[in-house]
Amino acid sequence: MKKILELINIVLENRDKVKLEEISESSDLRTDCGLDSLDLAELTVRIEAEYDIDIFEEGVITTIGEILNKLDLEKTDE
Amino acid sequence: MSKTFYYDNIEGKNISYNKLLNDLSNTNSYSTYCRSNSYYSIFKHIILSLITGKEIILLDNDFSQEEIHKLIGYNKNIFDIKSIDPIGQINFNDIIDKIKLNGATCKLTLFTSGTTGMPKKISHNFDSLSRFVKKEESRKNDIWGFAYNPTHMAGLQVFFQALLNQNTIVRLFGVERVTSLNLINEFKITNISATPTFYRLLLPADHICNSVRNLTSGGEKFDFRTLKKVKQMFPKCRVRNVYASTEAGTIFASEGEEFTIKSDTSHLIKIIEDELYIHESLIGESESLVTVDGWYPTGDMISVVSENPYLFRFISRKNESINSGGYKINPSEVEDIIRSFDGVIDVYVFAKKNSILGNIICCQVVSSNKFLTEKRLRLLLKDKLQEFKIPRLITFVKSIKTSRTGKLLRKN
Repeated sequence: MKKILELINIVLENRDKVKLEEISESSDLRTDCGLDSLDLAELTVRIEAEYDIDIFEEGVITTIGEILNKLDLEKTDE
Repeated sequence: MSKTFYYDNIEGKNISYNKLLNDLSNTNSYSTYCRSNSYYSIFKHIILSLITGKEIILLDNDFSQEEIHKLIGYNKNIFDIKSIDPIGQINFNDIIDKIKLNGATCKLTLFTSGTTGMPKKISHNFDSLSRFVKKEESRKNDIWGFAYNPTHMAGLQVFFQALLNQNTIVRLFGVERVTSLNLINEFKITNISATPTFYRLLLPADHICNSVRNLTSGGEKFDFRTLKKVKQMFPKCRVRNVYASTEAGTIFASEGEEFTIKSDTSHLIKIIEDELYIHESLIGESESLVTVDGWYPTGDMISVVSENPYLFRFISRKNESINSGGYKINPSEVEDIIRSFDGVIDVYVFAKKNSILGNIICCQVVSSNKFLTEKRLRLLLKDKLQEFKIPRLITFVKSIKTSRTGKLLRKN
């Protein structure tokens, strides 16, 4: 979760958007995290570079929890 | 001692003209197909083809078996070697005379670099391949830095230029940077012809090479900033840009970025919707090239600078533009901007397939400035480029991979 937050904040910072303090499994990528389609595209590339998985490959993903599921990551702060 | 014909640090070869003549004299077999990892073997094979008037098909050594079959046909055997009568003792002038004699008929077949898809087969004769090659007394002491693949058009042009003037050729292609620079100084190389990428990889300008008088650039756009740094490295050189393609050989040359069309070829060139078209009479023989009413669309996009005199610049390759979420981006434009930043040695902008945008713009940067981070670079780009053109993923790398011809690889 911490790594995903870090990646989301890089994307937000790149677009001069306000960084997030925290995220949760239920956080919506668009409404809660403030990511538009360009940002989501960038996020997928950054996640892919990190984990070698294209999270959007099989369809739309809307929440942080779905990303964690795709990556098979522990839903902890680590 | 006989003059050196070819020096190759990688192969560990130092071949004199006497040795070349001797090797040619003793040859008693010939294959139409030329495929070797030895540049010397390739050069010898080409000369043999020209002096015997036999067709030669140049294949890259790294073509896979499957690629070769697709390119030349499944029923062809590239190892088919036939006996020939030994040529016997010859001297250098005999070679030149025979090349001239067979120049119009001897068929040389090569393949386009394939940066735009599957390589295409193109056949030329020596005369069309050597359209811009000059044999002059003043060139007899030239020493060439060989910086291309010898089975490709640009490599052949350099080879013929050097051979016809009985010059020494020193291999620089595939040679590590510092070794290349040492070879340039050691052999007092006077002429280098290479892609801008090759020159960029010789930077930073921490070695000065005073022997180089003529520097030719081709295959890609030479950006002004790199050119300036390259000139610091080769302070006594004159820079010339050439426009050449496997399909047509060399067509234009210029001293700067602006090319002009000479009056004797102007009727063979036309521009449609900013794309350069070449008349089929300038094109080699090929089954896979499509012409439109006798004109071949080159895929090179140009911008006309002035009508009288007629001057134009190359802007990009037509199919190089990247479509990202419906926006068209010219990677060369983005590279030019990034290259202008302090500490940037090289840059490569490319598309990465993306499930959301179709393609996403990425770039790799080679930098000597430790303060240049992804964040800093992005900030600098915001003042220079529309947002959709700014690479979404910027990575810093030690070196950038190039294609078989030494050009940047656009595909990912």
